[in-house]
Amino acid sequence: MDINYFLESVISGVLLGGIFALLSVGFGLTWGAMQVLNISHAVFAVLGAYLAYWSFVKGGIDPLLSIPMVAFLLFIIGGVAYRLVIRPVTRARDVLMGSMVATFGLTIVVENVMSGFWHPDPRLLKPSYTGTSLFIGEIVISKASLIGFAMAIIAIALLYIFLHRTFTGKAVQATWQNPTGAVLVGINRDRVSLITFAISIASAGVAGVGMGLIYSFYPSVQNDWTLYVFLLTIVGGVGSIIGTALTGLLIGLIMGVSAAFLPFIWVNILLFLLLLIILLFKPEGIFGV
Amino acid sequence: MLEGIGVVRRFGGLTAVKDFDFKVEEGQIVGLIGPNGSGKSTLFNVITGFYPADAGRIIFQGEDITRSKTHEIALRGIGRTFQLVRPLLGMSVLENIATAVLYGRDHIRSMAQARVRALELLQFLRLDKKKDLPASSLVAAERKRLEIARALAIRPRLILLDETFSGLSEAEVQDAIKLIFRIRDELGTTVFLIEHVMKAVMGTCEKIIVIHYGVKLAEGKPEEVSRNPRVIEAYLGKRHA
Amino acid sequence: MENENPGKPKSSTADRFILLAVLLLLVVFPFFGPPLFFLSLFISIFLFISLTESWNLLGGYTGYISLGHVVFFSIGAFTTAVCMNCFGTSPFLTAILGGVVAGGVAAIVGFPVLRLKGAYFSISSLLLAVISQLIFLNWEFVGGSVGLWYKLMPVSIEANRVIFYEVMLGLALLITLVVRYVEKSKFGAGLITIREDEDVAKTIGINTPMLKLKAFVLGSFFAGVVGGIYGYYLSFIHPDITFNINTSLLILLMAFFGSCTTWTGPLLGAVVLSLANQLIVTFIGAEISRVLYGLILILVIIFMPNGMIEYLKMGQKVRKSQVG
Repeated sequence: MDINYFLESVISGVLLGGIFALLSVGFGLTWGAMQVLNISHAVFAVLGAYLAYWSFVKGGIDPLLSIPMVAFLLFIIGGVAYRLVIRPVTRARDVLMGSMVATFGLTIVVENVMSGFWHPDPRLLKPSYTGTSLFIGEIVISKASLIGFAMAIIAIALLYIFLHRTFTGKAVQATWQNPTGAVLVGINRDRVSLITFAISIASAGVAGVGMGLIYSFYPSVQNDWTLYVFLLTIVGGVGSIIGTALTGLLIGLIMGVSAAFLPFIWVNILLFLLLLIILLFKPEGIFGV
Repeated sequence: MLEGIGVVRRFGGLTAVKDFDFKVEEGQIVGLIGPNGSGKSTLFNVITGFYPADAGRIIFQGEDITRSKTHEIALRGIGRTFQLVRPLLGMSVLENIATAVLYGRDHIRSMAQARVRALELLQFLRLDKKKDLPASSLVAAERKRLEIARALAIRPRLILLDETFSGLSEAEVQDAIKLIFRIRDELGTTVFLIEHVMKAVMGTCEKIIVIHYGVKLAEGKPEEVSRNPRVIEAYLGKRHA
Repeated sequence: MENENPGKPKSSTADRFILLAVLLLLVVFPFFGPPLFFLSLFISIFLFISLTESWNLLGGYTGYISLGHVVFFSIGAFTTAVCMNCFGTSPFLTAILGGVVAGGVAAIVGFPVLRLKGAYFSISSLLLAVISQLIFLNWEFVGGSVGLWYKLMPVSIEANRVIFYEVMLGLALLITLVVRYVEKSKFGAGLITIREDEDVAKTIGINTPMLKLKAFVLGSFFAGVVGGIYGYYLSFIHPDITFNINTSLLILLMAFFGSCTTWTGPLLGAVVLSLANQLIVTFIGAEISRVLYGLILILVIIFMPNGMIEYLKMGQKVRKSQVG
């Protein structure tokens, strides 16, 4: 086994894992803080990728530069989605089920609107600098993966800082840990939920840009992405940013290692089996609380 | 009837119940008292199999139930209520009890038969007028009676009552005291209760066990225990002892 | 007479008569020569009634939301397909075997997985579905990525359709009746208690792991039988078709839409949503239909968060209290 091939596989896996981590962090946030199982999370990531794509193709704006715009737009969209779809659902007897069904409806709507407007041909974000690769010794690393990874790490860090260092972020955590208590100290639960959800969707959009740099995307790819989001969130521990981030790297590592030895189809089977076993023995996740 | 030997239960670094011995004889009404957080409910949870004991044994009618599962313990004859009552809100009052009758120690299969027995029990607890109302429509005191009815519905030999008297009015306390005696005298069920309301404890129990920080502090007749200096110290502080 | 069965509601003979009439109409419907399209539509509705009702045994009554029901449907389909290809047996005979195999797998898999709660259980079931799909895609014996064919019945297309119509109708009826029976039985009372409060259920003597497993296995058995027959109807099966996650979500949706608390809910949900989907596709067009479908889902959840049957019951209560 060529050591270089092995290392390339591992590195590529880990880089990808970082981006998957960003994709999943927001999902865990709404689940933990609001008991909302947002099945539409990944479809908004695809939307983010499309927004970056069109601003690049039509407006010549570099995808990395379009990130703030994507984040902002999806923040607004997330807020609207919260008001129209999510908030009413939180009054149902079974919020988990209700949110699953409602966000499923939302997913169908968004996916098919995108399909209708932009046609389901696969797209890829291809700014000039992603065409080349980086060489470390004999090892080849895709620049796109590196950039996506760097972007993801920064975004995750920002999210972490928001949750732990800003007042609003702490309000989010307070509501999460003790909804009644939070209200009693004057925190506006509705406001907090709105912000939480909007940030979650915004982070999905940004993650989508990262994914779009590496993988070709089309509206229905959200099915595959959703699966990874679920897995990373569960294994990493719902709502734990660090946990999800580390799990992303771990999953990426496992994927990279197994891809070096196994035919591709078996990589996924192995991964999901492993995750199922973890779930059975430690449902709180590896890093969960 | 029920005996605990050296029961230990830990939660991480905290030992909630430490080397606890206790005995409840058949036909008695025994009280378990202690300051908040002293491990009373934890002990009930260990007895009924919600938490495994980290050490020690629990023996019920000669059989070791330390490792038994909750539903097995119920079928052996231990019923329980919860401190914060847990009515089955989506069901009617009658259905709450009928289900317990079905799965209880009478091993009834017929829904009709279960409902008849459930009605008898509701009459015993003066809830029969509300039998078809949803359980969610009951007020607090009624919910407590429902909780007790459900525990009795499995026809237990021993019933564990967790803070039944909390939040009851003066008149309701008197009613509840009478109820406890009726449970023991008319249904032949031994009673082991956790309580904070001293009037109720003194009015019903023939033996009291005092627990403090998971350790048995005292055990004996109500008059003895209430005069025990260590007990007084635990509740009121050293000055009063 | 009064105390013989306190608390049991009276069922009216008029209701029974209407139901019987509807059933008879359904049975003879194909023989009036309707366009094949309608038969196909009804077959699809019967399929979803069967799947949703069998799913509801666990999902609705205990509250354990499984996203893996399609796995057992697929196991049934592949069992009959393999039997037909290897032994030449008709799926009408081997469908039961399909159900048994599905039930067996459910028994093995359910044992560890049912120990998980809430969303963790749901996602585990999703994982199982995904893993199963991947395994079947790579397993040569069941066709791998090529799929499996059934030998067609030596009858005309019309006759073929009618036969499957009647068989699927029969299955839907049988499964619905069984679920209804369970709901009103001791078994059902135990399941519902688990949903209400699993801890309390244990304290009144309910062996919760065993009951959950029974519901899971029974529901999976039915899914397997249905799969065995429906696969034959499709005449070609492939893991991408039979293990489709969207089908799992649809089942969930229909049960929830109708109200998963009672046997009438999944029935209503399956019928209404299937018809709604068909109407939208026919009159508005396939493109926008999906978007509209999604919008309807969202609206329904917002205005009828506990499902249609519960919503209707609420309306009934309000009207009763206003009159009385």
